[in-house]
Amino acid sequence: MNRAWTYIAIAIVLAGLVAIGLFAGRFVVYLSMRVLILSIFALGYNLLLGRTGLLSFGHAAFYAGGAYGLGLLSIHVTTNPLLGIIAGVALACIMALIIGFFCVRHTEIYFAMLTLAFGMMVFSLIWNLRDVTGGDDGLVGIARAPISLGIATIPISKTSHYYFFVLFCFLLTVVLVYLIRRSPFGLILSGIRENDRRVEFAGLSVKNYRLAAFAISGSFAGLAGALGALLESYTNPFSAHWSHSAEPILVSLIGGIQTFAGPIVGSVIFIGLREVIERFTQNWMLWFGLILLAIIMGLRGGVVGGVAQLFGRERGEASASGGAR
Amino acid sequence: MLESIVHVCLAGLSAGMFIWLVASGLTLIFGVLGVLNFAHGSFYMLGAYFCYTFLAWMGDNFWLGLLIGPLCVCVVGFVVERYFLRYVYHLALPYQLLLTFAFVLLFDDLVKVIWGAGSIGSPTVPGLSGSVSILGRHFPVYSLFIIGVGPVVAIGMWALLEKTWWGRIIRAASSDREMASAIGVRVPALFTAVFVFGTWLGAMGGGLAVPYVGLLTPGMGESIIIEAFVVAVIGGLGSLKGAFLGALIIGLLSSFGTRFIPTFDMFLTFILMAAVLLWRPQGLFGEAA
Amino acid sequence: MNAPLLEIRKLSKAFGRVITANNIDLSLEEGVLTSIIGPNGAGKSTLINMLSGSLPVDSGQILFQGVDITRLPIYHRVRMGLCRSFQVVNVFPDLTVFDNVQIPVLAVHRRARRLFRPVMREIDVRKEVGRVLERVGLAAEAQTVASALSHGDQRLLEVGIALAARPRLLFLDEPTAGMNPVERAKILQNIKGLSAEGKTTFVIVEHDMDVVFSLSERVIVLHHGEVIGDGTTQEIQNNPRVREVYLGEEVAA
Repeated sequence: MNRAWTYIAIAIVLAGLVAIGLFAGRFVVYLSMRVLILSIFALGYNLLLGRTGLLSFGHAAFYAGGAYGLGLLSIHVTTNPLLGIIAGVALACIMALIIGFFCVRHTEIYFAMLTLAFGMMVFSLIWNLRDVTGGDDGLVGIARAPISLGIATIPISKTSHYYFFVLFCFLLTVVLVYLIRRSPFGLILSGIRENDRRVEFAGLSVKNYRLAAFAISGSFAGLAGALGALLESYTNPFSAHWSHSAEPILVSLIGGIQTFAGPIVGSVIFIGLREVIERFTQNWMLWFGLILLAIIMGLRGGVVGGVAQLFGRERGEASASGGAR
Repeated sequence: MLESIVHVCLAGLSAGMFIWLVASGLTLIFGVLGVLNFAHGSFYMLGAYFCYTFLAWMGDNFWLGLLIGPLCVCVVGFVVERYFLRYVYHLALPYQLLLTFAFVLLFDDLVKVIWGAGSIGSPTVPGLSGSVSILGRHFPVYSLFIIGVGPVVAIGMWALLEKTWWGRIIRAASSDREMASAIGVRVPALFTAVFVFGTWLGAMGGGLAVPYVGLLTPGMGESIIIEAFVVAVIGGLGSLKGAFLGALIIGLLSSFGTRFIPTFDMFLTFILMAAVLLWRPQGLFGEAA
Repeated sequence: MNAPLLEIRKLSKAFGRVITANNIDLSLEEGVLTSIIGPNGAGKSTLINMLSGSLPVDSGQILFQGVDITRLPIYHRVRMGLCRSFQVVNVFPDLTVFDNVQIPVLAVHRRARRLFRPVMREIDVRKEVGRVLERVGLAAEAQTVASALSHGDQRLLEVGIALAARPRLLFLDEPTAGMNPVERAKILQNIKGLSAEGKTTFVIVEHDMDVVFSLSERVIVLHHGEVIGDGTTQEIQNNPRVREVYLGEEVAA
């Protein structure tokens, strides 16, 4: 019975997402893309936080890697968006492997602090290398050229057209993250979160799995960054700042870090709420602080966790499907 | 050349002592409670703003402002620990960090609401204003004052922790919570007291910053917290001696950096932190994990 | 198999001035159920920690199946077949019993790296997990979350996870600690049966003399980081030095 309702819910959401692209006004479409991009960032990030139990304060650096990777390629080599995205994701992945290599040999606080340090290093690098990155001006004029696939050329310069491309990337991310969560690798990550020493004693190199999770989540961050750069046609060094790193954390917490849909729901709430709050007051941070407080003090399962409890799904039941949900 | 180096050193020392003032509270709180308080920068900022306000109210009396301002922030710190932080000690690290982060968001905006989003100018302190000629160049008197205050605070904290009965209890509770509780120490109350004291130190840093930084802005908490973190990590999380040394190193490093390699001084600080964490993860004086 | 399964040569370890292992020479044969006993502070845990890889040695050599493993990381030793269980229950609390055991089985089958296949589809892995659970007697609790198990069942799970890695040599660190007599009997039966199957050699660190003397074919006695007795249960019971150490300690206490 539960299964059927899940499929129906997914179908409705999908229909809604497509409808937005077809019928909604430009601003709603733009906002929806921000939600989808943040969701990609957060879904990938939550593989590291919720699944593996590692709190990284530097993932914004990989988002920036994706954005600047695409931006630099677009300005200096080719405006082909597919190549740009590949370049962005590749740069983010390489950065994540290098930074991750140094960070995953530590845990908990030291890991968090190291990622913070490296993240801010990337930020200050971007800020200071004006000639390459444009410094605090960022890279401007990133074109949204049509995607040429040989047989067809898909224009994406119109907001509504680009929306469907972003939606496609989002769905791809959802499928990939879902598969990873249900895979043996995903189970090992859960084990590392629960008891990393025991995983070592099961015959697995915990460091390598952490690094893999770090690189994978970094790559998704890069994808989000690249898509974000195409959306705004511009990059900015603050996309690497630690306050930006806090967004996927916040969003995953709000939605529920142990759930699959949590980061998505959290993104909707975060961006939606921020828009609403900003209508009435400048001080959306105040309200977010309060909401975050409420969640940590009370609703630690996040929104999705809380709703799941309402419908009586026990933790054990969730675990029975191989720790997938 | 010599006076250049001496001045850069002095500038580095005063910057370092500043960071030490802020990092001391952070380190104390981490050493005893095991909590890394992101909101410590906010307490610093609140200390500065409160101090400035009281200073303006009480007819420009800096010392009065410095006395009362941080005490107000202590009230805030008390509420944070007693009614919020206390309940998440048993939770995983991410939740603690995020709780303090929530307070950062809250306080940042609260400051904007109460004092406005723009920057507030800062007054000079009679008796400590102006500059002194050192080796032919001018150096601010207030900075010399800060260079003096730093070690005083360091010695004071050392004396408190090593020589007093209070200090012994604090050290006992931080190394073994359960045991301390078993011998009758009211650990929760002690933790609150230490947190408030740490808050006071941070707020004092903020108060002392009022004439030093030139301008008070709502973002000042964020910039100082990162530096304080770096210092705490380099020195060894929880080690006051380490934080003092770390602050000196960072202060001098960034002073030399700003003078001789201006573009990359921020970068240097982080490289140093990463290097220390990689080579000696427990910091210079920390205990091995 | 004539070569010893595990050879320990001049193993030493000191913590400051406390010598926990003093030039220990030992070899373990395959198939011989061995117990390591000794009063508190004798160095039993240190020895296990050094052999399994969680503690670095100060000097000496450890040879497993003829290979020098002294500096190998933990997971490497496990892959070679040297495993341990823990005195304090060390499981994956929020995962089901099934998943707890599935992790080491995935590692053994080298399937742990798979990214895109659902773990549910790994049929032979699932079958093996079922077999392990049956062997330790936890088949009925497969879908229970580990933290919800009774203490005795958690200890069974503890052993199960260690067994699932298909070790040739398995160190059990006080497997019956905190168990009631019924649970104790159950786990001892299990160990006896598994040992008889011959695939795994068991070495048990224990405090409880009844367990030691009812199970073991060989007993090694440690005291202050040195081996002071090594032989059959009969020999050990009659060993004057051992009696002095044990009885002497008790009288003094």
